[in-house]
Amino acid sequence: MNPFEKIFNYQILSRLEDTGTFVVTAYERTWLKTMLEHPAANEAFTAETLLKLRQMLSMDIVMDTSEYLIEKALTQEKHVYHPLLRPLRRLISDRNGMKISFIVKDGRENVEHRGFPYKLEYSMVKREWYLLWFHMRHRTFMSTRIEQITSFSEQPISPKTADQILEKLSLIKHARKSEVCIEVVRDYNQELSRIMYAFSCFEKTVDYDEEHDKYQVRIHLPRDEYEFLLSKIRFLGKRVRVIKGDYLKKRMLEASTKALARYGIETMQLEEGLIPIESSLYTR
Amino acid sequence: MLMLMSGAYNRQQFAERLGISVHTFDKTTRRLKDIAAATSSQSHAEALDLIDAVRHTYYETSDPILLFLFRAKSLKESESARISIILETLHAQTMTAIELMDVCSSMPAELSIPDEKTIRSDLKYLEAVGAIRKESTTRPYRYRLHNDLLRELSEDELTDLFDFVNVMANTQVPSVQGYLLQDGLKKQLKHILPEDNPFIDPFLYKYHYHSRILDEVHLFTLLRAIRDRRRVQFLYFTPKAEKSYTAQQTNPLFERQSAGKQHKTLPLKIVYDHQYGRWYLLGMGREGIRKFRMEGMTHIEEAEAVSEEVYGRKTVELMEKLQTSWLIDTGKPIKVRARFYNPSAGEQHNFIKHRVLLQGQWGEIVEEDEESFIYVISVNGIYEIKPWLRSFGSSCEVLEPRQLRHEMIEEWKELHKYYESI
Repeated sequence: MNPFEKIFNYQILSRLEDTGTFVVTAYERTWLKTMLEHPAANEAFTAETLLKLRQMLSMDIVMDTSEYLIEKALTQEKHVYHPLLRPLRRLISDRNGMKISFIVKDGRENVEHRGFPYKLEYSMVKREWYLLWFHMRHRTFMSTRIEQITSFSEQPISPKTADQILEKLSLIKHARKSEVCIEVVRDYNQELSRIMYAFSCFEKTVDYDEEHDKYQVRIHLPRDEYEFLLSKIRFLGKRVRVIKGDYLKKRMLEASTKALARYGIETMQLEEGLIPIESSLYTR
Repeated sequence: MLMLMSGAYNRQQFAERLGISVHTFDKTTRRLKDIAAATSSQSHAEALDLIDAVRHTYYETSDPILLFLFRAKSLKESESARISIILETLHAQTMTAIELMDVCSSMPAELSIPDEKTIRSDLKYLEAVGAIRKESTTRPYRYRLHNDLLRELSEDELTDLFDFVNVMANTQVPSVQGYLLQDGLKKQLKHILPEDNPFIDPFLYKYHYHSRILDEVHLFTLLRAIRDRRRVQFLYFTPKAEKSYTAQQTNPLFERQSAGKQHKTLPLKIVYDHQYGRWYLLGMGREGIRKFRMEGMTHIEEAEAVSEEVYGRKTVELMEKLQTSWLIDTGKPIKVRARFYNPSAGEQHNFIKHRVLLQGQWGEIVEEDEESFIYVISVNGIYEIKPWLRSFGSSCEVLEPRQLRHEMIEEWKELHKYYESI
């Protein structure tokens, strides 16, 4: 299995695309056949389609990766697929509106709120699905765990309204992001590769200061992702230091002060008025 | 790896193909530069620079940003034209080699007209990679495109298939073949869907390790070697040899380090570490268990085979040691006890406990009261689990072993110093 086969070459592909010819190789079929053995396949297809696929792939082989491949530090998968993915994705691709009922944090149920769904988002950290949607009455962008959705139904929406919502989304998406800057503490430059891997899930740029032999990572992220970034910074410990981002600095000071207090070590007084950040724009 | 960058794309093609960036690419390109400097006299700087020019925003696409690398195998213009014509023709109807030769004779004049031998070898290649298949069992063979997956499914079924492939490629390993398939499915869907209902990719993946697919490059080479019980030899760049990329180019010490080191080992298992999104090869050498980061490996070659008995014995030995490793530490198991503090009473959801249960691997919660709970795990060494424990901040207090408790205190003191002056 060589992913560098010439059949995957870009020039061949773009030529074929022009004539509407699409090619599937044995490598892709073997991969698919292997993945169809995952329980998620039963939720992804109707029984009929699944049978059809298995028949089409009957001559192909299954990868033996599972025999030699070990996954470590894997977060338990809550679900890979969810039964609601299929109907929700169809709402999204039809650019349809919906009426949605869902459980909120304190256990209450919000019944039949009108909304416009636009994306299904999977968190690689929590290993579960979220529906991203626009709340028509509150005029806010929402992120709801799929598990918390109790029911939904189609509710037509005019193409014009849909366009306006998507436009609004693209405007605030960038406005919501701010930049923080994290420095690799010079003694740990040798571990740069590991540190970069840890930050590789963020939108970032890396600068190198030749004179001082220092690396700085500038990360662009919305505020509701600060908690996750903080856990990464604590994960890396002494290797990195926040140099731009007052909120992050305060939170790191607070974490170290409180952590030391757990071990019976008193440091300077805690600063007043630090409240953990709420998901400010997304209400759950 | 280097052939990836050798001009199969021009600047514009890169931009078109990506439309996005490759922020995670910094380190990889720099690493490639290193390896390029060490293994070749050619300058790849130009090809690498353009990566910086492309920017990416999450929230817009679930396409893997580094997949283009797998598309970059260089091909002669005449070869890519010929293969495309063969595939296009077989898309419309079945044909024999001779008939295909006639079709190819209409190729643009500036490209040489292929002879029968060339066509036959192309067909053999395309059949071997499974892109086409023989229609009949008697000569002369008629060939057809082997793409029922795209052609015999309804639009609705294709959508389900696209979704499944998208989800599995993004959440499972390995994924490169899945991404390639997803690409084909997306194009087919775009092709067949009416204009007023264009194709929409509804999925997003948050906090993905994009660079993981780069290391999949070696995965199948190594899997084959394991399957064949063969040793492999390769050039290895250790993380210790990593240095600042530009400043020390002239340092003779660095020159020596960057040359990489030749290794030979019996590959046994491949480990994917979800914590960092990194791949490792675990093998057995003369010195015992050996571990290599796959990103540091290059020029992999198969060497002699070992007996099934040797392979079996070494695998059992490795697996025993690996049983209690958080990632790949095969040192002695140590009992770690930690107290986790629940969120304040106002929080409905105990996200601390939730996370410990999801990520704590085989560790167990042994005691619990209103305020806190105690988590216990027997794990090889303290160094691989430490970052995870520390990531909980003040919600985690290490109780045992003493050394880990002590180190944790020292690190928090140090971190406190980083920020106390703000």
